[in-house]
Amino acid sequence: MTAYLIRRVLALLPVMLVVLTIVFLLIHLIPGDPVSVMLGPDATLAQIQATRQSLGLDRPLYEQLFKFYGRVLRGDLGRSYFLDRPVTVALLERAEPTLVLTACALLVAVMIGVPSGIIAAAYRGSVWDRALMLGALLGVCIPGFWLSLNFIYLFAVRLGWLPAAGYTSFLVEPAAALRYMVLPAVSLGFNQSALIARISRSCMLEVLQQDYIRTARAKGLSQGATICGHAFRNALVPVITVIGITMAILIGGAVVTEIVFNIPGLGRLIVSAIMRRDYPVVQGVVLVTAAAYVLINLTVDLLYAFIDPRIRYD
Amino acid sequence: MDRSGLFRTVVAAFLAVGLIGAGAASAADTPKKGGLLRVGNLGEPPALDAHWTTASITETLTNHIYEGLYSLDEANRPIPMLAESHTVSRDGLTYTFKLRQGIKFHNGKEMTSEDVVASLTRWGKQSVYGRILFAKVADFRAVDPYTVEMKLKERVGIVLISLAVPNNFGAIYPKEIAERFPPQTKITEYIGTGPFKLAEWKPDQYIRMVRFDDYKSRNEKASGYGGGKTAYVDEIRWIPVPDVATRVAQVETGELDFADDLNLDAYERLKGTPNARPIIGTPYYWLVAVLNKKEGLMTNQKLRQAWQAAIDVEPIMKNVAGGKPEFYRMDSSLAFAEVPAWHTTITGLPWNEHNKDKARRLLREAGYTGEPIRFMTTQEYKWMYDFALLTKQQLEDVGFTIDLQVMDWSTLVQRRNNSKAYDAFTTGIGNFFDPTHHVYLTCIWPGWTCDEDILKLQDELAREIDPKKRFALWVRQTRQFYEKVPVIRYGDLFGLRAARTTVKGFNEKTERIRFYNVWLDK
Repeated sequence: MTAYLIRRVLALLPVMLVVLTIVFLLIHLIPGDPVSVMLGPDATLAQIQATRQSLGLDRPLYEQLFKFYGRVLRGDLGRSYFLDRPVTVALLERAEPTLVLTACALLVAVMIGVPSGIIAAAYRGSVWDRALMLGALLGVCIPGFWLSLNFIYLFAVRLGWLPAAGYTSFLVEPAAALRYMVLPAVSLGFNQSALIARISRSCMLEVLQQDYIRTARAKGLSQGATICGHAFRNALVPVITVIGITMAILIGGAVVTEIVFNIPGLGRLIVSAIMRRDYPVVQGVVLVTAAAYVLINLTVDLLYAFIDPRIRYD
Repeated sequence: MDRSGLFRTVVAAFLAVGLIGAGAASAADTPKKGGLLRVGNLGEPPALDAHWTTASITETLTNHIYEGLYSLDEANRPIPMLAESHTVSRDGLTYTFKLRQGIKFHNGKEMTSEDVVASLTRWGKQSVYGRILFAKVADFRAVDPYTVEMKLKERVGIVLISLAVPNNFGAIYPKEIAERFPPQTKITEYIGTGPFKLAEWKPDQYIRMVRFDDYKSRNEKASGYGGGKTAYVDEIRWIPVPDVATRVAQVETGELDFADDLNLDAYERLKGTPNARPIIGTPYYWLVAVLNKKEGLMTNQKLRQAWQAAIDVEPIMKNVAGGKPEFYRMDSSLAFAEVPAWHTTITGLPWNEHNKDKARRLLREAGYTGEPIRFMTTQEYKWMYDFALLTKQQLEDVGFTIDLQVMDWSTLVQRRNNSKAYDAFTTGIGNFFDPTHHVYLTCIWPGWTCDEDILKLQDELAREIDPKKRFALWVRQTRQFYEKVPVIRYGDLFGLRAARTTVKGFNEKTERIRFYNVWLDK
């Protein structure tokens, strides 16, 4: 297991190098200029040129790329042109909202998706099955921004039950933080639950057709005991994979949800950074997201061994 | 109860209700201190350095923290702010400014002439308006702690107005800060003399400004951006809310007290909201197609005139304003009606002619044979895309071939600096308070208006100091503009804001929002 773990962590390095290079080249090669955005619409060409020079943006691209590698090796992701602070600080400031939103939305998605999948599989072909899979289909089809705006209109503007947008840290005001998080977590979780529900259903159906399930039923076990005690755990491996992927997607940026609900997280940060051509921030967020993807995949792989004793990495 | 008794009772009841109502109304109209004002705006400022950027969000925010020597009154004329008074020498070459005494910076230090000299010298090297003024300045020095002197190379009529413009303005910083940060580097220590001081800036979350208790207000009545200023609210919290629909919803729910930069289609909805009210922001921009006169097709004046002759401005404006006449104005003046000193009402100008025959004739005279004209626009500002799209249709009706290139704003503002990349681009022209500040009439801004006659008149306008003669020159420049067509002037577009009904004392007549003299009736 340890050797496997070391191998996987080492494999992270070339992945990160490729990601860094591609992102650096992509963001620098697309048109757009951070200085023109920062200096405003009436800035003169001389002002723009002078500021480009002071930020080192007039240097050749290869020179900027090697400087960037050097900084990353020293653990320095650079300084945001626009926010005027180290990228690492900007990332840390936005990590908490994104992680909280990810956790809450994932909880909602799992709480909706997994039971829906199990029930739909257990009552295959029934009205329950059709209704739940229709719900999952809607979850996939309904655009996140549309659902979010309708939630705001209904629960904040019309009924006044919840705040329309904003964010407060759970560490500062837990009750207020929970109120702020309900609508974004539910709207995002509903969208993400669709895939979990469908995968749970198909995995459960596959397991429910196995001989040992028939044996369990023949022994007189109840439906609940059969599903919970025997079928579900064996169907879990693909479900865990999907939950892992969902988590990685959410950390990478629930962009639309963060913008509509005004949550100052990583998704909103990267969108703003792309619009402003704030190169160091774009590079930093992509780097962190790529690392999160790899680490989550690794965690999911390790979890398989705990869930299914037949899986061994040694 | 007899009839007269009943009558007396009814009258007494009406009087009582009337008095209570009047009392309530006057209580609401009486300014009071306290409270937190939450303002939703579009996004983050690139800097809180007033000298450094022309971004309008920086202008709005920094004008609460810093002040300049002069400001603008309700007619957008210069009035003293940190200056007490000024005198001009007989030859018009020396301006002597007396400074107000006892003005404190937010760090407790008293403002003196050394701070003014250091700040305006920095401003003169970085700001658009500062550079224009300081190109004419021979010497700028402190005479004594409360007097500064500006010696000019030649007589110019732009000294006071340059010191008064609110955008990219001559904010006074403490000398130590002005000298520590070179002009090309934005400042990161925010100390001013304004009625609010910066308490905290958490990017993408909020900017907190709190009342500066040692603020020394002028004694005059508030007027425009200037005059007496009182910080009634304890704190202004500027909250960036990038989604416009969310900004509207948050005003409706009361999570925001004020929201800026709203889509015009929210107007009807806000009118029907009991605790909020829509505010029409005038002026916002006049819509403009800037033509590349450095190289390419648009260097041909006849072609530019053909564009001007072809367009029918009213349907374009109506469409951009979502069909609401409250949000646009048909006007050919290069200065907004809100700047009466420079607003012109010249008849017979070739503006909004929508004369297809004339346009076709000019196209023939230009020798145009259908080459595609690269017209850059963006969907990030819906109004820009809308007017570009309608312009394309109208121009193609008379024989132009328009290659509409849609890109994000960041790309557009970069490409517009490259004369090889385009023939025209969309943008908006905001409020300018002096004829010499209209950037599209200069050779140093994209589009490159380097026409000798235009620049000569600009130079004359800068040198002339008699207001009447300056206005006559401006009328000449306006006529010249419509003949030379450096850019295409469309109509004036207005903006939409919203405030909760508890927000009192807000001055709706300024172009950009200000929250001094505003109180909360909660």
